[in-house]
Amino acid sequence: MISIKSFAIRKISAFGMKYLPFADAASEAVPLSRLLRLSLFQVTVGMALVLMVGTLNRVMIVELNVPATLVGAMLALPLVFAPFRALIGFKSDTFKSALGLRRLPYIFKGTMLQFGGFAIMPFALLVLSGYGKAAQAPHWIGEVAAALAFLLVGAGVHMVQTVGLALATDLVEEDDQPKVVGLMYVSLLAGMIVSAFIYGAALETYSPLRLIQVIQGSALLTVVLNGLAMWKQEARDRVRGNAVRTTEPSFAQAWARLSERPGLMRLLAIIAFGTAGFGMADVLMEPFGGQVLQMSVAETTRLTVYLAMGTLVGFTMASRWMGRGARPIDVAIYGALIGVPAFGLIILSAHLLSIAVLIAATLAAGFGAGLFGHGTLTTTMRTAPRDQIGLSLGAWGAVQTTSAGASIAVGGFLRDRLQSGSAGAHSSSAYIPVFCLEIGLLVLALLLAFPIFGRAGRPNDAQKTAQDGFAKSNAG
Amino acid sequence: MSNDPNKVWPTGLTLSEAEEVHSYLIDGTRVFGVIALIAHILVAVSTPWLG
Repeated sequence: MISIKSFAIRKISAFGMKYLPFADAASEAVPLSRLLRLSLFQVTVGMALVLMVGTLNRVMIVELNVPATLVGAMLALPLVFAPFRALIGFKSDTFKSALGLRRLPYIFKGTMLQFGGFAIMPFALLVLSGYGKAAQAPHWIGEVAAALAFLLVGAGVHMVQTVGLALATDLVEEDDQPKVVGLMYVSLLAGMIVSAFIYGAALETYSPLRLIQVIQGSALLTVVLNGLAMWKQEARDRVRGNAVRTTEPSFAQAWARLSERPGLMRLLAIIAFGTAGFGMADVLMEPFGGQVLQMSVAETTRLTVYLAMGTLVGFTMASRWMGRGARPIDVAIYGALIGVPAFGLIILSAHLLSIAVLIAATLAAGFGAGLFGHGTLTTTMRTAPRDQIGLSLGAWGAVQTTSAGASIAVGGFLRDRLQSGSAGAHSSSAYIPVFCLEIGLLVLALLLAFPIFGRAGRPNDAQKTAQDGFAKSNAG
Repeated sequence: MSNDPNKVWPTGLTLSEAEEVHSYLIDGTRVFGVIALIAHILVAVSTPWLG
């Protein structure tokens, strides 16, 4: 019996190591199981995003009859907090703690905010929609409560993701960073896909009670998963705890020190343009397929699945190439380079009315987005000074979420304007300018990235010199 | 480190460490209290249970 059991365990673990991407992220200090556990915080982030942007977006408009403009304003609220990611990251870098903790307290606080937001959200939405006696109550109660709920969840998501990524960067060696980034992105994507299916099934027959159950279930699951994710991850550091704090640098000073680093502002600009370029496709692909190519709802849903599949392949390939020594920024540039013809193909598919071309273009766009996202985040991690990891990843998150959110809003707005302006014209005329804009943004990102493309002939030279310089400045 | 005079029984934490752990507990309780209060008010607005 026992030999069969041990045989099975050995086989299964060998299977896992062979077929699971990023499995070799486990170093001596941090085994794979621990990294997988840490990546659970990305699952809760994905869950919150899908619930707010996908599920509740529809429930509020269709079932609760809340005006679409109000829904849009509510969903945009969390974006207000995105720039504060840099501040959160900075705070966690310099957190004063007798226990010597830096990241854990912020993940705890972020989790509480996420939980709190979800806990009041269903009731806030019911009041907002005038359910029961709420119709007689003043209007502002529902609006303020719903805004508060979305703000709380949004702030919690920003906090958990920023500090969680900083903790992941703390934990692993530089060589393993690409695999950890891949793991984090895949967890986010997996959380989004799985929770989208579960929310869809759970809310198929809507009732107020079911809405409360679903959202509060998410609240509980958030606390449980984040608790599992952060359990025993960050080591207590007595030296840091006992260190006499003299003069802490202010946020402005820390930011000035970080932004002086060569190439950082350029990197952030590349991230802003590239993310905006890829981001618009997220919400436009499905209506484009439906309106222009007359695809059914099932087919357009599959388009989103193709986009996600392409992105997944992009993450995997990016991890593999960087593991073999490719520079992360080069991988990101290849991603943007693939994105330009991919969006060109989408425009072409409108002329050819070919669904096959659109699917191929969608896969390619997803692949490019995967390479770009992975490459830029890994570059951010690599270039972050050891004592400013939180601030660096906060800056990455602030730029990335702001430009992703803004691009989705601008893309939807442009399409609506063009559609209403050209009544009776060809249905693709509303989409093609938006896809052209995406190409333009990607070209801008490429122009910015061109001077640093492949500059360090051999992949590891740049890092080596950077590390030497860092060691010297530490020694001196 | 083991003969640190600041360590308190029975956890082996120093006083400041113990106070920090306690502060997280207090923070959590306050946030949960406020959240519960808001949730109760909202439920009372839509389905009043106090007559």
